[in-house]
Amino acid sequence: MGTVVRSLEKDRKKLGDFRPVLVPLGDCGLSVRFANELDGQANQLAVAAAHLLGNADLQGVTEICPSLVSVFIRYDPLKTSFLSLSNHVRMAIISQDFSLVQSTRTHEVEISYGGRDGPDLEFVAAELMLGKDEFVVRHNGAGLRVLAVGFAPGFVYCGLHKPEMHIPRRKELHRMVPAGSIIFAAGQTAITASNGPTGWHVIGRTNFRNFNAQNSPPTKMRAGDPVIFSGVMAK
Amino acid sequence: MTHLKFLSVGPMVSVQDAGRFGALEYGVAASGPMDRSAFFRAGYLLEKAGAPVGLAGFECGGGELEFSVHGGDVRAAFCGGKFTLHINAKSAKWNKVHTLKDADVVKISPGKSGNYAIVRMEQGIDVAQIIGSQSTNMIAKLGGIGGRPLEGGDIVKLKPSGDRFVRGPVFDVAEGPIRVVWGVHGDLFPKEVRQRFLDSKFVVSSAMDRMGVRLMDRHGVFLMPPKLSLVSDTIVPGDIQILGDGTPVVLMRDHQPTGGYPRIATIISVDIDRFAQYRAGTKVNFVSVSVEHAHELFRQGSFK
Repeated sequence: MGTVVRSLEKDRKKLGDFRPVLVPLGDCGLSVRFANELDGQANQLAVAAAHLLGNADLQGVTEICPSLVSVFIRYDPLKTSFLSLSNHVRMAIISQDFSLVQSTRTHEVEISYGGRDGPDLEFVAAELMLGKDEFVVRHNGAGLRVLAVGFAPGFVYCGLHKPEMHIPRRKELHRMVPAGSIIFAAGQTAITASNGPTGWHVIGRTNFRNFNAQNSPPTKMRAGDPVIFSGVMAK
Repeated sequence: MTHLKFLSVGPMVSVQDAGRFGALEYGVAASGPMDRSAFFRAGYLLEKAGAPVGLAGFECGGGELEFSVHGGDVRAAFCGGKFTLHINAKSAKWNKVHTLKDADVVKISPGKSGNYAIVRMEQGIDVAQIIGSQSTNMIAKLGGIGGRPLEGGDIVKLKPSGDRFVRGPVFDVAEGPIRVVWGVHGDLFPKEVRQRFLDSKFVVSSAMDRMGVRLMDRHGVFLMPPKLSLVSDTIVPGDIQILGDGTPVVLMRDHQPTGGYPRIATIISVDIDRFAQYRAGTKVNFVSVSVEHAHELFRQGSFK
């Protein structure tokens, strides 16, 4: 037993300080949670773990999807149990080198910042004590990744921004913002894929459309992909 | 070729197959029938009648549905809740296979109980597969007929589905409390709130659709909802999330793929179909079970 424990301890180093917690999500789902708060490293681990688990060919698993700091695994309770699957999931991730899983599919997203396209840009820049142009320069140079796809079809969370670029959500909802809105809050920039309400700051707009149900796969961006924003202030 | 002409259509009639599983990574929930047991039961009834089974059928959620059959006979199974069925104005049995003949007029109306009726036929429905499924996702507006519910005047062609037939479990649970497993955020609720959640009766409100069912919390169990800033995480059908104002919402088949509200518990697979059929005003109480027990119950489901 002693050796087993020691080898587990050693393997954990590959996960750094992150000890994933495995919790049931209903009776057909298992969530592998790497952190309780949004954290860039936990996000990278979740994305990498989803990839590794996908390759592990786990019995009874029907779907694997990474979220911001966790991986969701859907399973068939006729083919596996929560306990057995948990063991297999642990084995599949503790023995792996996460740093090998790194996406190189870089997406460049051109943004028209401010003006009617980004009505909250001025407020956001002022809150961060930056000029509007300075904000745009920093936003362009952020060097982000797709943290997760979720909330709505093709909706992507990109991040994480440096702490000095963090700003809380708006106090009031925007009732309706169009698809392609660039929204900004809580250390992230998201790109909306459909019309809808948002509590985030609308800083710009893009013609980039991540989701097309007719395509296979239907999204261009996947969790883990690098994203570069470019663009200028709207006239 | 056989086709159906929709004459009078209630507000929530949609094309559904077994579901669009595997699309969460694109931000798309699985959708599929609100009462999966009824959907699979309809398939098994057709199979027992010696008929092929169409992959997709119609789900009729509330209100009436009237359609006529053209271009050939088709056997159809009618399941889910206790609805009233008329074929050419003559009363016909629910939970049964009927042979629909050319020019027959079929009318489904709400009956004694249930919100969702299923019509499956020996042919499938001739609509495109979108991300591997024909199911309509009403929130994402994709699948089925242009991602929308059916409307009066629609003409829908049928198409043989071949021999692919998705088998799924039928859970026959008549009575009793709705069983849950504690949710991903269960431990963030104080112990006494969790206890009151189990001890109190909630009432199904009229705010219900394929996305979710709002419950009325008359005893104020969630009067002081936990003020939490949670990282948005994957949602599964049956999740009971507590909104900022304390309203409990049970997330259903067209749920958002991810959400950031705290989820106290998740309705187990064998009870969610039954829950979906509860009408507004139904009193619900919850009882917690272990995941292992939920699986034991799952294995008792029928596959024929």
